[in-house]
Amino acid sequence: MSKTFKETSKTGAVLWFFQRVTAVILFIILVYHFVYYHFISQGVYPWRTVVAKMQSPWFNLLQFTFLITALYHGLNGVWMVAEDYIHCKAWRLAFFSVILMVGAALLFVGTLTIIKISSLKI
Amino acid sequence: MAKVKLNVKVLRYNPDTDKKPYWKTYELETEDDVTILDVLNEIHWNIDGTLAYRRSCRSAICGSCAMKVNGRNVLACETGLHQFNSHKLKIEPLPGFKIIKDLVVDLDEFFAKLERILPYLILKKPTPDKEFLQSPQDFDKIQEAAMCILCGSCTSSCPSLWANEDYLGPAALLKAYRFIFDSRDDGTDERLDIINDRNGIWRCHTIFNCMEACPKDIKITEYLSRLKVKATENSI
Repeated sequence: MSKTFKETSKTGAVLWFFQRVTAVILFIILVYHFVYYHFISQGVYPWRTVVAKMQSPWFNLLQFTFLITALYHGLNGVWMVAEDYIHCKAWRLAFFSVILMVGAALLFVGTLTIIKISSLKI
Repeated sequence: MAKVKLNVKVLRYNPDTDKKPYWKTYELETEDDVTILDVLNEIHWNIDGTLAYRRSCRSAICGSCAMKVNGRNVLACETGLHQFNSHKLKIEPLPGFKIIKDLVVDLDEFFAKLERILPYLILKKPTPDKEFLQSPQDFDKIQEAAMCILCGSCTSSCPSLWANEDYLGPAALLKAYRFIFDSRDDGTDERLDIINDRNGIWRCHTIFNCMEACPKDIKITEYLSRLKVKATENSI
């Protein structure tokens, strides 16, 4: 069967696919977060212990994955709602630009936070 | 069988004379085992002959009498009075469609969308001499979807369509599923091209209203989800 090339960004296939993928990743990360930090690691810990934990490469990777997937999932959700209600092309483009800017700003702030925690001297 | 007194509120609208739709209340006495269509017939034949509504087969096959009763899209001919636990009825035309008069809605756009997905078997291979055989397993994939009677209940109950009237809607997409997953059909690529659009399958947000509204209990949302997977496989 012949395959037809399509601009998937216009059709929504890619957005839909990655919305599902990020949902699964978010679910796994949140289950890990709740189980590890709320049930297994119970008790009072000194500040140094907590920061040391947060500086581990594994924690950083987890936080960065969480940041990327949560941003994609959340902002793509907002975009999908906007696609339902905004019918004018120019307004859609404007709204999409706002979403991109908000995403970029939150990504910057989130990444900066992870880097700052990692570079804290304990 | 017992007699019951009914209070029936019907949304009336005649675009030639009324500025906007209004509620008209009818009080009548009827048997308790009648259908909503019987109630409407009673009003039309004996109380108010100006009430307009569609009806035809009385067997839940033609889909003409789809309307909203007490907040639910139903077929008036198959819905009994006993299903409402109330002697108060609120009858409205199907939401999301333009009203022609009273309970009669304009389905032109609905059928135009159906036409867009090419709702017929497309054959590119040579046709067999006798009947076109299909295995029971292949038939199972489309059997339920093929039961759609095109009453419009699903499409009119879809919030995505209320927000975006260009959206194809569940009925047209279900018909697309019925042909795309038909082992005899060769028009998959053409149909996927049509539904793989920002006003096509991607406007379905799995709200499940269509499934709740379908008088034939077709699992529409499930089939549309399969269609999304198929469209994604074809695109990525």
